[in-house]
Amino acid sequence: MASAANALRLCLRTTSQTQSLRAPASAVVASTSRSFSATPAQCGKNYIDRLRKRRKNKEHGQNEVEYEYEQNFNNPGEYFDYVARESQKEYPKVSKEEVKLAETLRGDWDALQQDQRYELGQRRKTISAQAADLRRPVKAKRDSFWNEEEQDSEYITEEIGEDDFEEDDIMAMGHGKLEEHREFREYARIAVWEMPLLAQFAKKFEPPAQDQVLRFRYTSYMGEFHPADRKVVVEFCPTDIQGLTQVQREKLMKLAGPRYNPEKKVIKMSCERFEHQAQNKRYLGDLVQKMIEAAKDPTDTFADIPLDTRHHKFTVKPKFPKEWYLTPERKAQLEAERKEMMRIDQTKRLNGALVDGVLAIEAAKAAGMEAEAVMIPRGQAPPGRR
Amino acid sequence: MSAPNSLRCLARPSTSNAVSASLSLSFSGLRIGAAAPFSTTSARDSSIAKKSVNREPAAPYRAGKKLKIGKFKKNKVVERGKAPLPGERKAYRKKIVLTNDNALPVKWVQEMGPNHLQDVNNVGKVVSLPDAVQDQLRISEAFQPSQSWKMFRKPSTLIREETVQMVSKMEKAVGNKKTARLVLAGDKLTGKSLLLLQAQAHAYLNGWIVIHVPDAQELTTACTEYAPIPDTNPVQYMQQNYVLKLLQSIKKANEKVLSKIFTVSSHPELPQNIPVNSPLLALINAAKEAEGAWSVFHALWQELTAQNANRPPILFTLDGLAHIMRISDYRSPAFELIHSHDLSFVRTFVEALQGKTNFPNGGAVIAATSRSNAPRAPSMELAISQRIAEQEKNPEVPKSDPYFKGYDERVESSLKTVEVLKVKGVSRPEARSVMEYWAASGLLRATVDEHQVTEKWVLSGGGVLGEMERAALLTMRI
Repeated sequence: MASAANALRLCLRTTSQTQSLRAPASAVVASTSRSFSATPAQCGKNYIDRLRKRRKNKEHGQNEVEYEYEQNFNNPGEYFDYVARESQKEYPKVSKEEVKLAETLRGDWDALQQDQRYELGQRRKTISAQAADLRRPVKAKRDSFWNEEEQDSEYITEEIGEDDFEEDDIMAMGHGKLEEHREFREYARIAVWEMPLLAQFAKKFEPPAQDQVLRFRYTSYMGEFHPADRKVVVEFCPTDIQGLTQVQREKLMKLAGPRYNPEKKVIKMSCERFEHQAQNKRYLGDLVQKMIEAAKDPTDTFADIPLDTRHHKFTVKPKFPKEWYLTPERKAQLEAERKEMMRIDQTKRLNGALVDGVLAIEAAKAAGMEAEAVMIPRGQAPPGRR
Repeated sequence: MSAPNSLRCLARPSTSNAVSASLSLSFSGLRIGAAAPFSTTSARDSSIAKKSVNREPAAPYRAGKKLKIGKFKKNKVVERGKAPLPGERKAYRKKIVLTNDNALPVKWVQEMGPNHLQDVNNVGKVVSLPDAVQDQLRISEAFQPSQSWKMFRKPSTLIREETVQMVSKMEKAVGNKKTARLVLAGDKLTGKSLLLLQAQAHAYLNGWIVIHVPDAQELTTACTEYAPIPDTNPVQYMQQNYVLKLLQSIKKANEKVLSKIFTVSSHPELPQNIPVNSPLLALINAAKEAEGAWSVFHALWQELTAQNANRPPILFTLDGLAHIMRISDYRSPAFELIHSHDLSFVRTFVEALQGKTNFPNGGAVIAATSRSNAPRAPSMELAISQRIAEQEKNPEVPKSDPYFKGYDERVESSLKTVEVLKVKGVSRPEARSVMEYWAASGLLRATVDEHQVTEKWVLSGGGVLGEMERAALLTMRI
C-alpha cells in the first residue's frame, strides 16, 4: 500500500510546481506521468541561460525581476508544439538534442488516433487529481511533540490487538518446548542415520616417522572466511633432525632466537604473511630448510655465543615429594619412631630427668620464699648482674 | 633590613655595589624619614627593622614535640618531655643485656672450656660463657641486640654439629700452621652469627688473637670517613675512624695476649717511636687519634703476619659478607664508585679470606653471610652455591648466567677457594636439649617431651633456631 503510494508520488514528483532538478529530457515520451517541462534539462545549462538573460536585460536597460515560469502540457502534442516554437526563437529555451528528439517522436504522436490522444489526456488528469493529496507537502506542526500526530505510513503490522490470545493455540512456552523436542529428534536422526556413515572415512593413526619432524598446525573456521585462517604454525625439535652434530644443533637453536623454548626444547614458528594457507606452509618449510643449511654451514659455528634463554621464563611446578608418600614401610618407620619417642620420654620420666617449665617455676618460687630475706640496697645492682 | 634595599632604588643608575653600600651607610641616619617618600612599603619595613634591633636574643632551638590544645588558645602548649639527646636512641637500640634476674639459673649447664667446642660428644649440650669471655665478646660486639640473651640468667649457647665441625676445622688448620677459610652460609635465623660468636669464644678461651668486624655494613655504606692512601696504585682508601675504634676493641679484648707478644721490626712511619721487641699492646696504644690509626693498624697487621715470629693463632671474623662483596657507596675524587675491595681494611680481610695472607702460626678467617640485611651480591651467591656443589661432589656445578650483567670478577676470584659451611636447622636431639634449657630457665611453661619438641621443630621449618625461639619463647603463653 504505502510503497505503492510512494512509487506513485515519485512518478508524479516530476510534474510538481516547484521544479528544481529535472530528469534529462531524453526520457520524455516513454512515460505518461512525465512532465513536459519547458526548462532545459541540466542545471548547468539552466544557469547559463539565466546568466544570458540577465546580460540581455542589462543591455536593454531593463530592471525586470527575473521570472521563470512553469508550463504544463496536457499531452505530448502540446509539448512538441512548444519545442518547435522555441527552436524558431533567437535564444531557444530547449536544447538542440531536445528539439531533435521531439522531431523524431512527433511521428509516433501523429500516428495516434484522436480518441487515444484524448484518453491519454484524461488519464493524466485523473492521476493528477488523485495524487493531489499525496503531493501536498506535509508541514511540521509547530507545537507537536516528536510529531506524534503524524501517521506512520511505513508501519508494517497492525499493532492493536496483535498479541491477544484467542484460545485457539498452545502457549508460547509450549511452542518452545516443541521446538526443543524437534531439535533433539533432528540430532538423534543425524546420530542414527548419518554418523555411522562417517566411519568409512576413518583413517588409522600412524605416528610420525623418523624423518617427519615438522608438526604443522592450521586454523579452520569451518569454511567461513577469517583473517586468521591463513596462519600456519610449525613446531619441531632440533634434536629430532637427523644428521646434525651437537654444535650444529646448538647453532640451530641459537639461530631460532626467541622462537626456541628451552624448557620443551622445541622451535616454534608461524607465518601468515601470504594470502593462502598453502603459501604460508611452503614458506615455513623453506625457512626450516634454510635454517638447517645455515646450521650446517661451518664458516661460523656460533660456538663462542652462549644460548640465550632470556625470553623464556622457566616455571617450576612443585610436585609432591616421593619420600612423603605414606607407604606401608614409611608407616612402619613412623610407628617405630613414635614408639622410640615414647620410650625416651618414659625413661626420662622414671629417672626424673624430664624437664617441666611449670614445675621449675614452682620449685624456684618455693625456694625463693626462703631466700627472699636478702635485702638489696636501693640503687645498687643485685650481685651477678652484668 | 629593607631600608638599604629601598635606598638601593636611589642608587640604581650606578651598578657598582660599592656605591650602594656607601649610600646605605650615608643614609643610615635618615633611614626612617628619608626612605618613606620613595617607597610605599618602607614605613612598615623600617618599623620591623627597628623592632628586630630591640628584640631579645632568640630562644635556643628546642627539639621535641609540642601539642597545641584548642584552635584559638594559642598560648597553651603542652610539652611532652625532653627529646632524646643525639646518639641516645642508637645507644638504646644497640643496648645489650646479658642477664635476666627473673630467669631461673640452670644448674646442669657447665661453663665453656677451651676444648668443649671441638668435642663431638658435646654435640647437643648447652654451655654457658665464662665471665671473662663474656666481657671480651661484648667488647668485640659479638653479641647482637636481636639475639635473645636478655631473657636468660646467664649467656649460654648450644653446641651443635656445625659448631664442632667449624671448631675442629679451625683447630686442624692451626695444627698444620695453616689458615681455615670459611664462609658460613644458610637460611635466615639459622644461627650464622651465633656460630661466629662460638668461634670467637673458642678462640678467646684458647688464647688466640681475635679481630671481629661486627657489621660489614659500616665499612661500605659510606657512613664512616675515608681518605685515599698516598702512593698506592690503584688508589686504596683508608677508614681511619673505623680502624681506630676497631684497634681499641682489639686492644681491650685481647689485652692479655697482646701484652705477651713483641714486635719484630721497627715501624718508622708510626707517629710514635715503637722500638723492636716492645709488646704489641704498646704498638696499638700508639693509635690515640683517628689520624695515624691506619698506619698503626697496618703495622699491627704486619707484626701479626710476620713470618717466623712467635705469634698465637689469629681469628679474623666478619659478619654480613654481602656488604663487602659489592661496589661500595663511597666515591673517588672523580666521582666514580669505589669497589669495596679498594677500601684498604676490607682488602685486608678479603686477602686473608682469599688465602693470600699467611699467619705464622695459623689461624682462621671466617665470614658469615646475613639474610636479613644484605644487598644483592649475585657473584657471592653464585660462588657460594658453586663451592657447596663442589664440596658435595655434585656433578652439576651452577654456572653463571652469560647474559646477566651484575657479576663481579673480583668477588668471584676472592671466593674461589674458600670453604662453605652450610648452616641448617638443628637436629631433633639438639632441639630437645635447647628446649630443656628454656624450660629449666622458667621461660617455656611446658613439659619438654618428644611431642612438644617435634611440634616446635616442625613449626620452625625443620629446626631453624630463630624460628623455634619465635614459636616457643617469644610468644606469650601464660
